[in-house]
Amino acid sequence: MWIGVWLAALGLALGIALGLNLPFTVPQAYAKYMSVAVLAAMDSVFGGIRAAMEEHYDNRIFITGFFSNALLAAGLAFIGERLGIDLYLAAVVAFGVRLFQNLAIIRRHLLKK
Amino acid sequence: MRIKPIHLALALVGLVLGLLLSVQFRVTRDTMKFPQVHRVKTMADKIHDARAERDSKQEQINKMREELDKEAAGAALGALKEELVDARIESGLTGVSGPGIEVTLNDSNLEVKNGGNPNWYVLHDEDILKVLNELRAAGAEAMAINNQRVLSTSEVRCTGPTILINRNQRIAPPFVIAAIGNQDTLINSLEMRNGVIDSLEPWGIQVSIKKVSRVEIPPFPGSISFDYARPVPEEQK
Repeated sequence: MWIGVWLAALGLALGIALGLNLPFTVPQAYAKYMSVAVLAAMDSVFGGIRAAMEEHYDNRIFITGFFSNALLAAGLAFIGERLGIDLYLAAVVAFGVRLFQNLAIIRRHLLKK
Repeated sequence: MRIKPIHLALALVGLVLGLLLSVQFRVTRDTMKFPQVHRVKTMADKIHDARAERDSKQEQINKMREELDKEAAGAALGALKEELVDARIESGLTGVSGPGIEVTLNDSNLEVKNGGNPNWYVLHDEDILKVLNELRAAGAEAMAINNQRVLSTSEVRCTGPTILINRNQRIAPPFVIAAIGNQDTLINSLEMRNGVIDSLEPWGIQVSIKKVSRVEIPPFPGSISFDYARPVPEEQK
């Protein structure tokens, strides 16, 4: 369990360092899609932590969920923009609500211990 | 404890999440920097530089004219010099003075009547042009508006409350038009019945004309260049 957490933290630190030092950034036009993708990714991570605490964590579900949620959210925002509907708002609301729910459940688990 | 694929996957997820977060953070930070403000500042700097360059060029022109005057002062060049002086007066490159009039024009101080168009109560470039034209017709030999020499090539253009003249020199009301010529003829031409002043007065445009025994008209500040016009050879005339 703990080695996984440490490796994930290490990866996170490495990713942040890498992102801050990249010689290029995403063009402004794509920033909106990426913000939704970030939200989806964070939701997946908290969902994974919650699952681990409830002891029904499944690695395959977690990995596929992480990437497909992020891509789906970004794609939804992109399509919404093309159609003239602010679909990214739907993603923000959906993932935002889930994020808070997951956080609340994680908190309960931590308090119960 | 062995490193299992699950651990590698977790590290990968962490990496991707960190990357996304930090890149997004950077993009947002760049957006907050207000590119417009930055742009305006560069433009202002450019204008400032251009102004400084213009001023230094103007100084150079003045210096070279002085040198030219010195060169032309030689005795052997007497006849040519006279011709040059005439030509320069004619072209407006020399300041001139003499008897003339000063016409002061200013926006109306009447209140705009209900339903009236406020545009009728301010001076326009056309009004200035009409006055200049009338003075020319009355034989004005040299003219200036707000100390800007008026030449045959001078434009009078409207830019909101100000007027552009002589390649974008900006002047603002009140406009003082100075003209050298026969004082009575000049004044009569302006005050002609149904003339230019009659057409301005109903709107309350303030016009005052005074005779000046010595009107000073400054030289044209720039240079006159003919890029397209060429003199026609003598025999073709």
